[in-house]
Amino acid sequence: MMKILIAIGSKEYSAPTLRVGMKIAKALNASTTIVDVGEKVSKFNAKVVGLAQERMDSWEFDRPGIDVLEWAFNFLAENNYISPKMVDAGFPKNTLVDTGGNRSEVYLKGTVCEDVQLILRNGNIIEELRNEVKSGKYDVTIIGGSGERRMAHDLVQYIDSSIFVVNQFNPNQTYRLLLAVDDSTGTKGAIKFGVRVAQAFNIDVDILTVSKVDTFGKGYKGAAERAGKMMGRIGINYQNLYRVGEPSEMIKKEAGDNHIIVMGASSKNPLMKFFKGSKPLKVMEDCHCPVLIVK
Amino acid sequence: MVVGFILSLLPTPSGLSLEGYRIIIIVITALMMIITEPIPLPAIAIYILVFEVILGINDADGIAHSFMNDAVFFIMGSLMLSVAIIKQGWDKRIALGIIALTGHKTKNIVFGFTAISALLSSFIGEHTVAALMLPIGMTLIRFTSQDKEKVRGLSAVLLFAIAYGALIGSIGTPSGGGRNVIMMSYFREFGLSISYIEWMILVYPLVLIQIPIISWILIKSFVPEYDHLDTGVRKLVVQVAKSPEMTGRNTVAAFIFLLVFLGWVFLSEFFGLGTIALSGVFLYLVAGFVKWDDLSKNTHWGVILLFGATISLGANIKETGAALWLAQNVVHLFGIWMDSFPFIVDGIVVIMTTTLANVLSSSATVAVLGPITLNLGENSMHLGLVTAIASAFGYFTAVAAPACTIVYSSGLVTAKDFLKVGWKAGIVSMVLLVLYANTYWLLIN
Repeated sequence: MMKILIAIGSKEYSAPTLRVGMKIAKALNASTTIVDVGEKVSKFNAKVVGLAQERMDSWEFDRPGIDVLEWAFNFLAENNYISPKMVDAGFPKNTLVDTGGNRSEVYLKGTVCEDVQLILRNGNIIEELRNEVKSGKYDVTIIGGSGERRMAHDLVQYIDSSIFVVNQFNPNQTYRLLLAVDDSTGTKGAIKFGVRVAQAFNIDVDILTVSKVDTFGKGYKGAAERAGKMMGRIGINYQNLYRVGEPSEMIKKEAGDNHIIVMGASSKNPLMKFFKGSKPLKVMEDCHCPVLIVK
Repeated sequence: MVVGFILSLLPTPSGLSLEGYRIIIIVITALMMIITEPIPLPAIAIYILVFEVILGINDADGIAHSFMNDAVFFIMGSLMLSVAIIKQGWDKRIALGIIALTGHKTKNIVFGFTAISALLSSFIGEHTVAALMLPIGMTLIRFTSQDKEKVRGLSAVLLFAIAYGALIGSIGTPSGGGRNVIMMSYFREFGLSISYIEWMILVYPLVLIQIPIISWILIKSFVPEYDHLDTGVRKLVVQVAKSPEMTGRNTVAAFIFLLVFLGWVFLSEFFGLGTIALSGVFLYLVAGFVKWDDLSKNTHWGVILLFGATISLGANIKETGAALWLAQNVVHLFGIWMDSFPFIVDGIVVIMTTTLANVLSSSATVAVLGPITLNLGENSMHLGLVTAIASAFGYFTAVAAPACTIVYSSGLVTAKDFLKVGWKAGIVSMVLLVLYANTYWLLIN
């Protein structure tokens, strides 16, 4: 079974991330976990903050972050993405089970729900999400489009799962899916995920192949044809687009603000990516629409 | 490490011994690591101790000796006492006390929070007070309005009253914080001595002066949405009334702390503040008020190790002559002004200490800067007290002091709030300290 991790940070901006995340989870028949990463506490003060929080518990205060997870849970229940049950035998109050390493599992008061798991972490967001993905072996991590471009950039670079950045998603807009293919190893996975996402959102697909030179090599054409065949087999409407130019610029141009972009991750080594950048990182930084980078 | 390696390739500055230069390199690299936390804190402590031996600053026994003294005992004891006290649940009694004193008016409550936090932290340490006071403040806020946006100003003003009150009070007595005890141990090394009561006579008036001033700054910086907290106070009183009555055990627990306090006041000159703090821990353990597992789990042993290492650094900065060399350079740099305006040296010490204390821990700041500032002038006692007091001005960031981190962890105040009010409280406190040190201390001399 596939596993999806949805990272949220606030009540104000997380609704689109949750909607998209649950749609994808349903399409992939994946188990879902929602994680909130709270502020990093200096190691100097970690123990005394822990003691203060113990006192807060005795006054029946929830720890920061639980309110966000509780809101997310209720949002999903109200919108019928999950079916929680209220049980008398449930926890008498919101309860944290410390699983070590700045991580706690959260159980909401009197509620049982097998559809979604809630996790609270504290620390540096990149480090904590990387640890969560590593320990939970998630296939896809879904995050909101942060105001800080650098954060999404770092997540794509350092997290060992596919990343869906829900950037400027408008639930009322009709989207198309832009599947960027080439002869790289990441394209195969991108096609698979592209099919699932197109199914989940019930949208048409533009299969885009960009070459820097006037001719399109065998690998490029083959990838585009394979993608088309898969779409056709499932019954998804698609069109093949062939463009010449700088790949990231052409993807940005074709995507506009009404596409969900799906593309494979770069196969460059981390050092090369750090110094020279990569196509997916550039696309994610420049485009004004949701982007799924498949690893 | 890279910075340390590059520095080690440079020639030793004139007038400084090789050991002195090497200890300065260790100080610089250790401070960089403490601030950026690239490796666990205990690893930084071990780095300091190991390199002090490897680089020939002192032999292994000498370093071990400089690592453990009464100040480290005190930090260990006070961290454990803090766990024992917090576990007693005295916060609910304190809540009733504050309300009885201040009534329902918001301004008075803010003053009450600042004053009570300051008075308590003089004796039981700032982080203990912040941990006890935070739920009281948050309960008042929650009972005033469930909508956080409607009580933004009130939340900030009450929580900062707790944090800043605790910081203000922590300078009042030697037991208010580990940094004070570290400074006392440096005084002893410089052949000076100051008793618990003498410290209070010299410093406590500044605590009392700061309480209304900081309260006023808070009220002006974060305008509370409500002039009166009638509903909040009423509900708080009801909530506290539901909690169990004070039992005989609670009274005995309070009595043990009273014994510790009396020990600090009257016996610390003979037995040391650290030993008395540890005696209190011993009594709490024997009487079963706290379990060793709780103490062990909630005491940050890595921090104790690091404080020990920074104290060792401080001792060796002095021993190698690096402290004197650094102090002479500061005097050389500002000499003309220091001669014309004697309070300039206080200003330099205050700025240096406050700046470092806001990015580092206050105890580590005093451990490292203490030997240098004590060499800055003839009146070492004066300079040492100024250093210890200024190290408490961690108003500027949420990470500067444990009390600030604790209120920040509530999620009701932001890093921006610290900047908004921190510079005002910081500048006022710094100016006040320089004026105070150059008037009151001269008068009572």
